[in-house]
Amino acid sequence: MFHDVQTANRWRSVLLLGFSFALLVGVGAAISYSFDAGFAGLLIAVVVAVTSTWSAYWNSDKVALRITGARQVDETTHPQLVNVVQEMRLASGLPMPKVAVIEDPAPNAFATGRDPDHATVAVTTGLLERMNREQLQGVLAHELAHVGNRDTLVATLAVTIAGTLTILCDLAWRMSAFGGSTSRRRSNDSGGQLQAILLVVAVVAIVLAPVAAQLLHAAVSRRREQLADATAVAYTRNPAGLRSALEVLQQDSTVVRHTSRATAHLWIESPLDRDRSMWNRLFDSHPPLAERIAVLQAMERTAPGAQTAAPPSVPPSASSAWPVV
Amino acid sequence: MGVVITIAVVAVLGLLAVWAYNKLVRLRNRVDEAYAQIDVQLKRRYDLVPNLVETVKGYAAHERQTLEAVTSARNAAAGASGVAQVAEANNQLTGALRGLFAVAEAYPQLRASENFLQLQEQLTTTENQIGFARQFYNDSVRALNTAVETFPLMLLAGLAKATRREYFEVADEAVREVPRVQF
Repeated sequence: MFHDVQTANRWRSVLLLGFSFALLVGVGAAISYSFDAGFAGLLIAVVVAVTSTWSAYWNSDKVALRITGARQVDETTHPQLVNVVQEMRLASGLPMPKVAVIEDPAPNAFATGRDPDHATVAVTTGLLERMNREQLQGVLAHELAHVGNRDTLVATLAVTIAGTLTILCDLAWRMSAFGGSTSRRRSNDSGGQLQAILLVVAVVAIVLAPVAAQLLHAAVSRRREQLADATAVAYTRNPAGLRSALEVLQQDSTVVRHTSRATAHLWIESPLDRDRSMWNRLFDSHPPLAERIAVLQAMERTAPGAQTAAPPSVPPSASSAWPVV
Repeated sequence: MGVVITIAVVAVLGLLAVWAYNKLVRLRNRVDEAYAQIDVQLKRRYDLVPNLVETVKGYAAHERQTLEAVTSARNAAAGASGVAQVAEANNQLTGALRGLFAVAEAYPQLRASENFLQLQEQLTTTENQIGFARQFYNDSVRALNTAVETFPLMLLAGLAKATRREYFEVADEAVREVPRVQF
């Protein structure tokens, strides 16, 4: 069942990328049209689109890790963390990812990398301090679910494209402020209404494209969070671990220091200080924690092993002889 | 016209056969890889057990019976072959280890020792890793078994050397995770 979801997700990723790319080229065309730049302008837009996507493909993980100040660790310094990652990657059948730690009191985690062979899972020191083994397992299962569902690549690519769009449109505005569009007036007598309409369409496209890209990305990202929660439970077979981890995150009000809207979608919980108006919620990269917790609670009630007291995924903790360290 | 249709049909059938064959090989390889992962974890546990026994001996030498049970279960598991036998022997070892950790509860000095704590985290994770590797293996086996028994993949199963595989079963009810594989 989860393989079907993964396949569907991959197709959706391709569609999203194709759409973003078309949007980018379309906006490039609109800009070049409104400034009489002609074919050269379009070509520049395509080149910008290709290079930004290309560089995002190869470097997005390194950039994300550098922005957040993550540093790679191994089992000598963080035995339990690496052990739990190893457990979850065995459950998912993925190759072992790199493990990184971020010095930050806010509990949070993210995964990055263009494919499962180049994945990195990063957690904050705040998360390590506050989570027990079972909760840590839930969080890392969620992160590896992003890797397994191929979310990490599409998320970083989409954000790069949205960023490029924003810069491009910003540039167009500045140019028009300096009277770039006067050139169009030359042809006013012959061009007539059609050109005027096209110009309006171009301006509207330039204004709305970055917003559209953001909205689209946020919507896709929220669905991916829900899917990753479900996949995580398929790995651990234990909704309680992730549920209680999310509850810890809910109670916590510390905000991650090194972050911005550009990397917000990467984290397990939105790292931004949220203002809960309907308008802002449209741009949220994450569904509200309360919703995610409710879904996991529903899973706990319906799980076949719901009646047994022991958390099923951590067999040792079932008996008191194996304390959960 | 007839020729074109014939060629089209043959081409479609050919593509289907390629898809089916590749899928079967992929499923078969996944089961093999999944089993190799279990194997690595089992070996790691066999290596950890003697250390644990030595450590416990230092604090609780007269728990001879429990210690011997663990050692013999470990040796039996290390010598087992075939999925069913290995699974059964390892269930015994899990039970014996559980008994040992229960005994250790009575020795505060032992439980406080650095060495013992390290071994405990290592054995906890190994135990979990065996559990999760087994879970993935059983899922992979189920996918393979379904494929070789259902149309149309069953037609090419012989060619792709894909055959039914055994589940890595857990006999001990206490160890069994949520029953996700419906046998």
